[in-house]
Amino acid sequence: MTIHLSAFIAILAMAFVTYLTRISGYFLLAGRSLSPRATAIMDLIPGCVLVAVLAPSFAAGRPAELLGLVATMLAATRFSLLPTMLCGIIVTGICRALLG
Amino acid sequence: MQTSSSPPELGSFRTEFIRGVKASLPLLIAFIPFGLLLGSQAVQQGFSALEVPLLTGLNFAGGSEFAAVGLWSIPPAIMLLASVTFLINSRHILMGAALTPYLRHLPRWKVCILLFFLCDEVWALTLTDLQSRTNKRFSPGFYIGITVCLYLCWVIFTFIGARTGNLLGDLTRYGIDMAFPAVFIMLLKGMWRGARNAMPWAMSLVVAVLAYRLIPGAWYVPLGTLAGIGMTFLVVGKEQEEA
Repeated sequence: MTIHLSAFIAILAMAFVTYLTRISGYFLLAGRSLSPRATAIMDLIPGCVLVAVLAPSFAAGRPAELLGLVATMLAATRFSLLPTMLCGIIVTGICRALLG
Repeated sequence: MQTSSSPPELGSFRTEFIRGVKASLPLLIAFIPFGLLLGSQAVQQGFSALEVPLLTGLNFAGGSEFAAVGLWSIPPAIMLLASVTFLINSRHILMGAALTPYLRHLPRWKVCILLFFLCDEVWALTLTDLQSRTNKRFSPGFYIGITVCLYLCWVIFTFIGARTGNLLGDLTRYGIDMAFPAVFIMLLKGMWRGARNAMPWAMSLVVAVLAYRLIPGAWYVPLGTLAGIGMTFLVVGKEQEEA
């Protein structure tokens, strides 16, 4: 149960970089009023980030995961978060057991 | 100072806090097994048991923590870890920007504290909540409720994983890992503004998938996002010409 100095510095460096990413969006935009076009663009950008983060699930191309994603998307059109998550987890789990 | 007469839609801090905790509870299905997994993997890679909660408590961004554990060495390669962390977490810049219009009425020091805890799931739940309410007013209690629940859970279970090893075994084999895409898909549903406005998302997905397959590392996040943003300019420009 010790903390090594080199590990401590590495962790601090990571934490510092991460915190910078968290506040820089705010400081870039705070105090500015955006045009309607800029606002419309800003509305669509979070979705771009989300699907980019999701890409590995699609890119891996394993049938079990793709079926799980389809099931999750179908569930999302009808249900709230918890049942959607359970649907996705159960379908993915079953598909992995069956398809390997 | 703000003269804040709380709007009718928002309850007291306490009710909002409890609402936030409740909203975040489903996510514990994923946070607990992933926390145990990260903690046990970290120790195998040479982390000491105390360094694990130090990392997860100060950094609090799971994706970059799994990457750091994979790249960990003794002594650690600090520049490499910092660069990979930036690549993976660069999405926070846009997430923070997306929240900014709702944070204007808060003093900066408060925002700086709140944003320390901005992770994918906190952001996703907060933005979904903002978009579902008519007055679009940011609720500090709700945000803090989500944050306290998820943050404590993450730090505690990564520490338990580091001390005891992964008690649950690799639950990701059973599909638990689908919990995170489910959160994101729910959020996309809340953001849906018709097929035309979803074209940038499709672009982002295609480029990110290609980048993920062709380029090693976390480049797929910024590359996909940038491609999507490029498409956004086209879509929004067109819309205004027609209007």
